[in-house]
Amino acid sequence: MNRRFLSLSPVRVLVALAVLCLTPLYATVDDALSFAHECAVPYVKQGFTIREDAWGGDLGVKDQKAVTAQLFKGNEYWFCMATDVKGAVINVHIYDSQGRLAESEAWQKGRFAAAKVVPRATGTYYAIVTIEKSPQERTHWALVYGYR
Amino acid sequence: MMRALLTGNGPSAKLIFPMLPRLITTALCGFAVANAVAEQPPATIDLSKFPAAAVEDVVVPVPSEIFIVLDKLGTPNWKGELRDHLGTNTGNRAQIALLLGTVIADGFIAVEAEDSEKVKQIGQEVLVLADGINVRKAVIARSKSITDKAEAKDWRAVRSELDGALQDVRGAMQELGDDELAQLVSLGGWIRGTQVLTSIVGQNYSPAGAELLNQPELLNYFARRIDEMRSRNLKKEELVVKVRKLLRDIKPIIGKDTITVENVQKVNKLTTDTVTAITSEDQ
Repeated sequence: MNRRFLSLSPVRVLVALAVLCLTPLYATVDDALSFAHECAVPYVKQGFTIREDAWGGDLGVKDQKAVTAQLFKGNEYWFCMATDVKGAVINVHIYDSQGRLAESEAWQKGRFAAAKVVPRATGTYYAIVTIEKSPQERTHWALVYGYR
Repeated sequence: MMRALLTGNGPSAKLIFPMLPRLITTALCGFAVANAVAEQPPATIDLSKFPAAAVEDVVVPVPSEIFIVLDKLGTPNWKGELRDHLGTNTGNRAQIALLLGTVIADGFIAVEAEDSEKVKQIGQEVLVLADGINVRKAVIARSKSITDKAEAKDWRAVRSELDGALQDVRGAMQELGDDELAQLVSLGGWIRGTQVLTSIVGQNYSPAGAELLNQPELLNYFARRIDEMRSRNLKKEELVVKVRKLLRDIKPIIGKDTITVENVQKVNKLTTDTVTAITSEDQ
C-alpha cells in the first residue's frame, strides 16, 4: 500500500476538514439535480432526450428565478424541477418572451414539479421557478429539460 | 452561478446515492405525473420586473434539438452535410476549442445520417482535440461510449453521449480555469450547427424551417460572453475577433419574424466562411 496516502500532515488534515465542511453544500445541490433527473424518468420512457446541461441554485421561500431557454417550434419539451428538501413545495411554469403562459401541461407534487411546452413559435422562453413553501431558509433546486 | 456546479463531472456524492431511493423517487414521480394537479399560474407575467440577478443565462441548445425539427419538416440529406475533413489542429488553444465544438456538432449530423463509422471517427477526433486542451481524461469514457453506442446504432444514446461529451469538456475546462475557452466550444458547435441548418433550409426553403433561426437571446448571450472575456489575449485572437464579427453580422438577420431565403443564404455564407477559418491550417 502506498504510504503517501496514509500520512497525516497538518495540511492534509486541513484539506480534509475543508472538504468535509463543503461536502454537504455540494451534495445538496447535486441531490436536487439527481431528483430532477429522476423526475424526468417518465418522459425519457416517452422518447424525450434529457439534456446534460442543467440549472440550479438556492432560493428563499416565495423567491423566483427566471430561467432562459431557446426553444424550437416543432419540438415538445418537458421542464422538470426538484429539490432535495423534504416538505418543500416548488413549482415551475413556462412563459414566452411576451410574458404569456406558454405551457400545455403542468403538475406539482411537493418537492417535484414539471411543465410541458409545445412552442407555437421558435424563440426565447422563460421557465419561472418558485419555492412556494420550505422548512429551510434557503432551498436548493435544480431544473433539467428534455426534448423530442 | 450555480449552473457551473451542475455541469461537468458531478461531485462524488452522486456516486454514493443508493439505488433504492432512486427507485422510490421514480415511482413517486410516476405517481405525481398521474395524480398531481398544479395550482393555476397567472396567464401573463411582467418579465421586466425580474431583476437581472434573478434571470439565469440561456442554455445553449445542442444541434439535435434543431436537427430533429428539420427531420419532421422534410427529408434532409444529412450525409451530404458531413465533411470528409474535420479540420486541422493548429496548436492554438482558441482554435482547438472552436474546432472541438464543430466536430461535436458533426457528431450530431452523423447521428442524423445514421452513419456509425463517421460517428466512431468523430468520437476519436474528440479525444485527440480534447488532448490538445488538456481535457482528454474527461472525455475518454464518453469517447468509448460514443463508439459503443454508434456500433449498436442506438442513436438516441449517441445524442446523449455527444451532449455529455460537450458538458464534460466544458466542465473540465472550467475546473482548469479555462471557462472562457470553454465557451468557445459551445460557440463552435453553434456555428457549425447553424451552417448546416441554413444549408438544409436554403436548399428547400420553407418559412417554418427558416423560423428555426429565430435565436436572438442566444446570439446576445454569445456576444456577451466574448465582450466580457477577461483574457485580453483571447479576446484579441484572430478567430475570436472573426466569431464576434459573425455574431454582429448575423444579428440583424436572426430575430426577425420572417426570415427570407436570401437571408438564410446570407447566414449560410457567413457561417461557412467562419467554419472554414476555424478548420483551416492558416490560423
